[in-house]
Amino acid sequence: MLKLFLSWFLVKVETGFKGEDTLSATKLSEKATTGNMLNLRSLLTESPMAPPLLTLIVGFILFSLFVPHFASMRTMTGIINAASINAIVVIGVTMLMISGEFDLSVGAMVAMGGYIFASMTLDGGSPAVAVIATLAVTAVMGGINGWLTIGTGIPSFIVTLGTRSIYRAAVWIVSGGGMLQAAEKLPIYEMFSGRLDLINNLFERANFRTVTIWALLLGLLLQLVLTRTRFGNQVFATGGNPGAAMAQGVKTKLVKLISFTLTGFLAGVAGIMTFSQFTTVFVATATNLELTAIASAVVGGTLLTGGVGSIIGGLIGILIINMLRTGVVLLGLPSDNFEAIVGVAIIGAAIINEYIRRRS
Amino acid sequence: MTQANQQNGNETPVVYMENIVKRFGHVSALKGVDFEVRPREVMALLGDNGAGKSTLIKTLTGVHTPTSGQIYFEGKPVQIRNPHDARALGIETVYQDLALVNEMSIGRNFFLGREPTRQFVLLKLLDMKTIANQTRKSLADVGIRIRSATEKVGKLSGGERQSIAIGRAVHFGAKLLILDEPTSALSVAESRKVLDYTLNAKERGLSVIFITHNVHHVMAVADRYTVIRHAEKVGTYNKGEVTFDDISDLITGERLS
Repeated sequence: MLKLFLSWFLVKVETGFKGEDTLSATKLSEKATTGNMLNLRSLLTESPMAPPLLTLIVGFILFSLFVPHFASMRTMTGIINAASINAIVVIGVTMLMISGEFDLSVGAMVAMGGYIFASMTLDGGSPAVAVIATLAVTAVMGGINGWLTIGTGIPSFIVTLGTRSIYRAAVWIVSGGGMLQAAEKLPIYEMFSGRLDLINNLFERANFRTVTIWALLLGLLLQLVLTRTRFGNQVFATGGNPGAAMAQGVKTKLVKLISFTLTGFLAGVAGIMTFSQFTTVFVATATNLELTAIASAVVGGTLLTGGVGSIIGGLIGILIINMLRTGVVLLGLPSDNFEAIVGVAIIGAAIINEYIRRRS
Repeated sequence: MTQANQQNGNETPVVYMENIVKRFGHVSALKGVDFEVRPREVMALLGDNGAGKSTLIKTLTGVHTPTSGQIYFEGKPVQIRNPHDARALGIETVYQDLALVNEMSIGRNFFLGREPTRQFVLLKLLDMKTIANQTRKSLADVGIRIRSATEKVGKLSGGERQSIAIGRAVHFGAKLLILDEPTSALSVAESRKVLDYTLNAKERGLSVIFITHNVHHVMAVADRYTVIRHAEKVGTYNKGEVTFDDISDLITGERLS
């Protein structure tokens, strides 16, 4: 029954593109004014985030119609809260994938970041110093991934498969294997992932958290960096055609090194957010997050081969995955089906994205 | 058949490569090759696959460093250690497959590596207006018309892509333009366009090295021909001195210089 529903869902998504023409056209109308008369098809391909946005909207409408209690403030804020911390990791992973590389060690870096931030703040240290130290360590860890990939010429998929285990072992050593827990919520934790009562008071049963604001700000900032700065332009070129980029004087190795470092930095931010929200961190924190992050990027329109993608698309991708997970739970299906749902979403999204790209 | 004499060669050559040797381990890819390009000429560099023409050009563009030999640029001895050095001298190369990024727009490709920016709060943002207008204007200056600078390069034909890459090199002040098999993958009509832009570049005062293994592709535009075979130079010949058949024979080795 699930399979039937999903195949119908995917067909709906595909046919839905035609039904939603006016929507995407208005959303992207500012693009059309910069060039000549661009048709809808080129709008969809010009903006890699248009297909996932449509998937999100169509999926939300379908779940709202068929899943009891889905279209409630409580469910929606639940989906958004569950997505927000991971979204910060997705931002880095998406940027890195556009530059043509992978990072499978982000989960371990999140755990490392969580431990460093937790131990320094629990010892009563300055929160600012704790944040800086955390981000410095995870940025260096990301940088090491980049340095190893560039220095050895081994694919980053293999390099970070190695550092994934090494970094997780490092977390074990740093932590001694024990869990860290905060007895009370410090103000710094509230700042990073406290309740957002300013907005919650406006809606009944809403439960928004500050981490969502942080994730949105970081997402918008890095989308701007990616699409409107010299560095962003060179990230696309490095992933799209490294030879052509190098021939134009782009320092592709430096671009990749910065992208790896940024991915580590953002994993550190996610570690800080994780501890701030749950006030616990253990060795297994954020296990398998790397796969969810890559899945989100792909669902969000980023190509595995590099050179194509968008940060906002990645954020929409993690929302789609969390929406599917929540929908499965509310349908009363066994939770074992979570991963199968994510798998179907990745393959479905890849097919749709490729189909639309080729049709241009 | 006579070797090219020094007529019209009183000016200092743009580039002079002297006795270039390149060995990879115990394989000799170049066995002491002399090669010269004069100002405002189209020099065809001909040779069969694996003859050594690519290796020769890569020592000039900084991809390889020669085992021995000296390169002079505009009369001065130079060390070209990497592609950056070559570009700094004014040597621009248009590679067949490595010219442009297909997934990016024409404008973003045109300014890749030299993107114009403007200050916006703390960030330096791309100046998209300048990119769009300047790309269209600069390409129009060299005779290339595009519909829109925001169009993706991947949607263009092979000839259009080559033309844009050539236009970019001309616009950014190249002194020596190297075209690596620019017409090999193109239709006859498209090749003709690329040849037109090659002549256009020459008229603007550039020197051009046109690398190909097919004499047909270069007969219409070349001023001189240099033929390489088995890692050695066969000779350099002026336009009109040699026939199509002569050159074909020299490339394949059916006739020796």
